[in-house]
Order: sequence, then C-alpha cells, then structure tokens
Amino acid sequence: MFVLAVIYENCTGCHLCELACSFKHHGVFDLSLSRITILTKPEVQTSVQVYCLQCQDAACERVCPVDAISRDKNGAYIINYDRCIGCRECAYACPFGAISFEVEARPIKCDLCEGEPECATVCPHDAIVYMEEKKAVRELKKAKAAGVAYGLYGGKETSEYPRKKAEEAVEYLLELVEKSGELDV
Amino acid sequence: MSISSERNVGDILIIDLTREKVVKREVSPETVKRYLGGRGFNSKALFDMIPGRIDPLSPENVLALGNGTFAGTALPMTSRLHISTLSPLSGILGDGNAGGEFSAMLKFAGYEQIIVTGRAQKPKYVFIEDDEVEIRDAEDLWGLTTGETVDWLRDEHGDEVSVAGIGPAGENLVRFATTMVDKYHSGARGSGAVWGSKNLKAIAVIGTKGVEPADPERFYEMAKEDIDYFNRNEFVKRIYSVIGTHYGLIQWYPSWKYFQVPLSAEELPIGLRPQDLAEYEVGRTQCFSCPLACKDVYYLPSTGEYGTASEFESIYALGSNNCVTDTEAILRMEHMADEYGMDVMTLGDTIALARLLHEKGILSREELGGVSLEWGDAEGQIELIEMTAYRRGFGNKLAEGYRNFAKLYGEEALAYCYDVKGVNRGWYEVDFINGIFTLSHATSTRGADHLRGRSWAYWENDKLMDIEAVRRMLEADLPDYRKDPVGALIYGERACTLADSLGRCKGSINSWLQAVPLVWKYPVFKGTAMLLTAFTGMEFTEKDIIDATDRIYLTEMAFNVKQGIKKKHYDVKFPPEFTATERAKAQVRRHWELVDEYLRRRGCDVETAYPARETLEELGIGYVADEIEGKEFPEWDGPVREVA
Ligand code: SF4
Ligand code: SF4
Ligand code: SF4
Repeated sequence: MFVLAVIYENCTGCHLCELACSFKHHGVFDLSLSRITILTKPEVQTSVQVYCLQCQDAACERVCPVDAISRDKNGAYIINYDRCIGCRECAYACPFGAISFEVEARPIKCDLCEGEPECATVCPHDAIVYMEEKKAVRELKKAKAAGVAYGLYGGKETSEYPRKKAEEAVEYLLELVEKSGELDV
Repeated sequence: MSISSERNVGDILIIDLTREKVVKREVSPETVKRYLGGRGFNSKALFDMIPGRIDPLSPENVLALGNGTFAGTALPMTSRLHISTLSPLSGILGDGNAGGEFSAMLKFAGYEQIIVTGRAQKPKYVFIEDDEVEIRDAEDLWGLTTGETVDWLRDEHGDEVSVAGIGPAGENLVRFATTMVDKYHSGARGSGAVWGSKNLKAIAVIGTKGVEPADPERFYEMAKEDIDYFNRNEFVKRIYSVIGTHYGLIQWYPSWKYFQVPLSAEELPIGLRPQDLAEYEVGRTQCFSCPLACKDVYYLPSTGEYGTASEFESIYALGSNNCVTDTEAILRMEHMADEYGMDVMTLGDTIALARLLHEKGILSREELGGVSLEWGDAEGQIELIEMTAYRRGFGNKLAEGYRNFAKLYGEEALAYCYDVKGVNRGWYEVDFINGIFTLSHATSTRGADHLRGRSWAYWENDKLMDIEAVRRMLEADLPDYRKDPVGALIYGERACTLADSLGRCKGSINSWLQAVPLVWKYPVFKGTAMLLTAFTGMEFTEKDIIDATDRIYLTEMAFNVKQGIKKKHYDVKFPPEFTATERAKAQVRRHWELVDEYLRRRGCDVETAYPARETLEELGIGYVADEIEGKEFPEWDGPVREVA
C-alpha cells in the first residue's frame, strides 16, 4: 500500500506543491484551490502541511449524509459530486482541516491524483513523498532524527548538524572548483 | 476565480497619497509586449512621470512596485518584486529587487504594479484585499521595526497578508533605507527613504484569485521541466540549497579592510567560513515558488532573535571589509539592518570608508563624538548601525550613504570613494575579466552594480553548475567574453533586464541557469518567448524579447540623462595611490575604449552618451528622444536637495 507521507521537517515553505495541486485539478494557479495547504512561519522554520491523511476510519466518510465519500483503489477518499449536496459536513468533521469548501460551493479534498500525486513530483525537498508504507515509515524516522539533530524541536541552541552539512558542501565545492580548471568550453 | 484580464496581466494601481485617491488602470496588450512587466513597467512609469531633476525626497518622486509577468505561477523563482524610484542615495534611477511572497500575493489580488505618488499628511498604510484598496492610518505603526510592522499587520489582517514596507531607517530618511518585504527581503538603493518621505509605512496585500495561463498545459509542462531541472541538479542539491550565497565566501574573494585585500578561500578567517555561519542555522527558506532554499534561518543565542538570509553581501560588507570576524556579531548586524530597514552593502561600505578616512586622518576624532572607528570593533559597529538608523550623532553623517558621506569631507575623502554614479561597489583593475567588471559597473543604469549583467557576461557561476549549458549557449548566440567583452556584457544586461521584468530571481549566486527560465534547454531568449506566448496568448518572438529589453534599458539611460548623467560619469575609480601609476593610466585608456564601443553598439551618441533618436525610433519610442534630444541638463553631482 502506497501512502502520501509528509515530512514537515523538510518543508521550506515554497508553496510549489499548492500551485501544482491547484493546477492539476483546475488548470489554474490558485492557492485556495489546492488540496494541500502550507502554513509558513519562516522565523521558526516549521511549515505545516495541512492535507488529507486518508484515515483508516475516516470522519468525512462517516458523517456524509448521502454517502458521497468512498475509498478508491489507491486508498484515497473520493467525493462523488453527483451525490454530494454541498452541506460541508465532511469539512467540519475532518479533524485536520483537510477539506476546503470556500470556492465553487463544493468540498474539495486530496484524491491522491489517481496514484500519481502531483505535489510529490514537484516538491524540491522531499517533504512530500509517495511511497510504500514501510519505506515511508523509515523515511519519517530518519527525518525526525535529523530534525532533532538540527535542533528543530524547541532547540534554540546552535547545533552541529548544519555545520557538518555546510562542511560537506564546501568540500564538494572545492572539488568542483579544482575540476573546473580542467574543463574548457 | 481568475484575475480579470485574459492576458493574465493585472491592473495598475495608482495611489495618490496627497489626495488620498486610488485609481485602477488596465494594462494594454501593447504595453505587455513592449515592456513585459516588473522592471520594464517601472522604468517606463518613472521616465513618463518624473519630469527632470527633482529632490528624490519630495512628493513629486514616484515609487513603483512591479511584480513580474510570471508572478504567482509554478514557473519557479518568479516571485521577485521590483521596486523603482528616483534614488535618494544616488540621484539617478534606483531600483531594487526583493523576494518574499508580496509579488505573488499582488498578482493573486489582480494587480501588476503599484504606483505611489504625492505625500500623505500623516503616516498611512495601504491595505489591499483583492478589489478592495484602502488607505489607512498608520500612526500606531510609525516607529516600529520591520518585524514589528509585519506582526502588527498580521494581527490586524490575518496571517496570509504579505507586507512591503519600511522600518525606522526609512522613516528617518536614511538615504540607503530599503523597502523590506515580509520582514527579511530587501530591495536596495534607498527606496525606503522615499516611502518615509511620503509618510507611507507599509502596503499589506491579500490576494485570493488565481492565475490561468492562456495555454495552461503547455505553460505548466515547461514550468515543471524547469522545476525538475533544479530538483535534479547536483550543484543545487549539495551546495546551493545547503550554503546558499555563502558559496561566494569561497568563490568571490570577499574584500578585507575596505577593499584592500581580496580574500581567497584559504585566507578566509575563522568565523567567516560557511561552516561557521551554519552553526547558527536552524532551518532554510526561500521566496515564493522557489525550489532552491538559498536562505538560512538563523538563531541568535545572545538576543533570542531569529533572522534570515545572512547573504554573502552582509558577511563581506559588515564583516570582512570592516575586519569584523565575530560570526554572531555579524549576524546580529545583518538582523538589525533588516529590522531598521537598511541596505547592508551601503551600510557596511560606508562604515568601512569612515574607518579608512579616520585612519588617514581625513576624519578627525572630534568629528566622531566619541565613537570608535578601530578596524574590527564589532561592538562599536553595532552601536554605529543603530545611530545610523536613527540619524543620531555621527550616525547622521553615515546615514547620508557612501558618496554623499564622503562629500561631507571634501575632495580628499572623495578620492577614496569607489562608486559609479553615486553607488558603491569596490574597485577593480580594468584587466580583470577582460574589462567586464569595470565596464559593467560603469554602464549599469542604477550605478555600479553586480546584478545588471556583469556575472552573466562571463558565466561566473555557471561553469560549476552546468558546463554543458554554457557550451550550448556559446554555440547558439552568447558572445564569448574572451573575444568580445562588450558583446557579452550587452547580452548579459539584456538577460538581467528580462529576469527583472519577468519577476525571475537572478539567482542569489547570479547564474544564467537561474535568471533565465529554460536556459539549460533552449537558447536564452527562445525559451522565454515560448513561455510568454503560452502564458499571455500573444505571439512573442525572440526579437520581440530582445527589443523589449533594449527598450527598457535605453529608457533607463534616458531617465538618467534627465538627471544630469554625462559621458564622464561612465568612469572607473581607483584608489589614489594606484591612479597615478602608468599601469593605471593605460587601464583608464582601455576602459574608455570599451565605453565608446559599448555606447556605439547600444546605439547611443558616443560623445554625449545620450541614446540616439534613430535607435529609439527603431524601438518605437521616439517620444523618449523628444524629451532629451538637443537638451542640456544640469550636471549630476548626487541627489538634489531642495531643503537643507
Ligand atoms: S478528509 Fe480528513 S477525515 Fe477524511 S480521510 Fe482526509 S484527513 Fe481523514
Ligand atoms: S496528492 Fe494530488 S490531490 Fe492530493 S494534495 Fe497532492 S496534488 Fe493535491
Ligand atoms: S513543495 Fe515541498 S517544500 Fe515546498 S511547500 Fe510544498 S511541501 Fe514544502
């Protein structure tokens, strides 16, 4: 089973996923039409991605009075707009605020793009990944560990982690510089 | 709901603060085709609206904010805001380019440009929510730092607002005060003081509309290809997104002790190396729609503050050039400059110049009134920065900014001023990079500058990032700087004009691959023509684009002609000790040869440096010639001051 996992430690808040998502579904770049929402606070670096978790026991599905929400083969809860009466119950019930309804008078939510999540393909920093459940769990654990090293969780002290990464970058840069001497155009 | 115009170009918002009136004007397709957007729109507005030599701090000055054509789209790195005005620092065209989310928000609100004129009686701010535009009282905001201002406006209007505005430095008319976007993104050349002179504290915008390309599929396909390119590029992943412009500390020879020693990577003192700065890093960030994350977010243990984007420029200008090597102190100064809203480069260079003048005895101890100008004194510098923002004591002099500051101490001081047309950029020998460095500083339409074409002309940073792309460009039509430096520079200037007009970041490491979309794949102007066609639904050819950039550039030159710029102001500056040598004299001759060739190839009069009527008419802007041809303008000598 594939899951869309969001690793918020990696997110830098560029909003490309929102632009991609709204484009994929509506052919327009419009943040309010995106199924994923990025709330940014640059000064503390944590961006929060609000999106649908495709719950095992989904509140949105349960509360829908006309059974308009059902799960597809990719595990995505899909809204059947032929049935949907636009009551917004699903949006109120979702514990994560993952369903929007402010536009087009109907609820919109993540449909996992029929198994090819557009957001994951554009995300530059692997903050959204679509992968096999087991692999996703491993990725998450790694990201959390790096987050601790980075001092993200309440850590306000300077930390060794970015320093190490910068050292590696400088090393690689010097390697490139050396090589570039031999390159001619 | 999409923005009103079918061409995806929003309206122009004209805000007259004297009368407190707001007018919206549609942009004609013709204008889009001829001036593209952003810097192009701004430069035209300034030329058309500012009559001649006026005091930049008078109500007659115009403040123009233009988002680029592609703002708000998934074409990456296209959310730069261009801010243009008659500069109170230089007295010529002064434009700056800032990131953040403002330009995307403005586009989503349905606007392409904001033009501010006049002067409000009392402090004001402007609040824009889609079609609603209000001029509001800002008395509670006056005096707040940029961070506090943004927080205040977020409290009032919600977290979604994006804010452009000023801090205390702008209010106090510091001549290199900046326009600050969303706390941390800064646009230089003194526009902040113009906001201050107009009693305008901030513009807050919320936009909720969408942008819909004329040919959505085609546009998105190309945008995604461009995103994908950066997402796959090794250099971006392993260097750019990790150390950002601190790359320059290794590659760009930051200067030590007021431009006396260019530091190589091995000479870089501890404290100024990328890894030393990274120790304060708690995350990375970027502007809207950019995949690069070139900016660090840093934490200052001593004050408990967060800051962001401690760029190369801050490190050299506030640090090495002043011999300051205390990492946290430099980051603190950078953050102070952001909070007060001042340009770090002019700030740092002015302080370094003061130190030098003091050392040479040109600046007396009495003059200083007790402040220390010892090289490397970090604590003293922190104090000086605050004094400058509030124009207190000696800070009142520093606040005049570089050349204006030197002028206070006469010819002797001016001799150490390495500016072009009032803007600081250090000094370089003409031999360096085949004359391009000095020539590009001389020809830049906003005074000495590294972002007007210079680094592109000799593909300074592209070789490391993607050498294949450089090869392809040379095969297509990029002149080789080793054989044709003038051709290469003009080519670079066109590309930068294009980037500034489309809203594309020129890349904080100044590379072709970032400044021009799809350049890794198509010849420079071809990819852009395809994008503009898909986006606007109007047919753009490569020639249309080259012509547009020339139209913009020559309009800017003509604007400066009206401010009294003559050919002599295309000069090159050396330290007085070097000027007298034979080597220097030969270099000066070479420089003027290059300037002549440049003017000829730009279609300007080689004697006067005025854009020639013929050239202007060919570009369809004969009206520009009507305003300058055969006219004498009083010679430029810095910004005009109406009142003492
Ligand atoms: S919309 Fe909300 S409740 Fe429904 S599956 Fe998604 S996260 Fe769960
Ligand atoms: S998977 Fe598709 S629908 Fe869901 S958030 Fe990503 S782009 Fe939007
Ligand atoms: S694309 Fe990735 S990094 Fe950018 S905002 Fe979305 S999740 Fe965050």
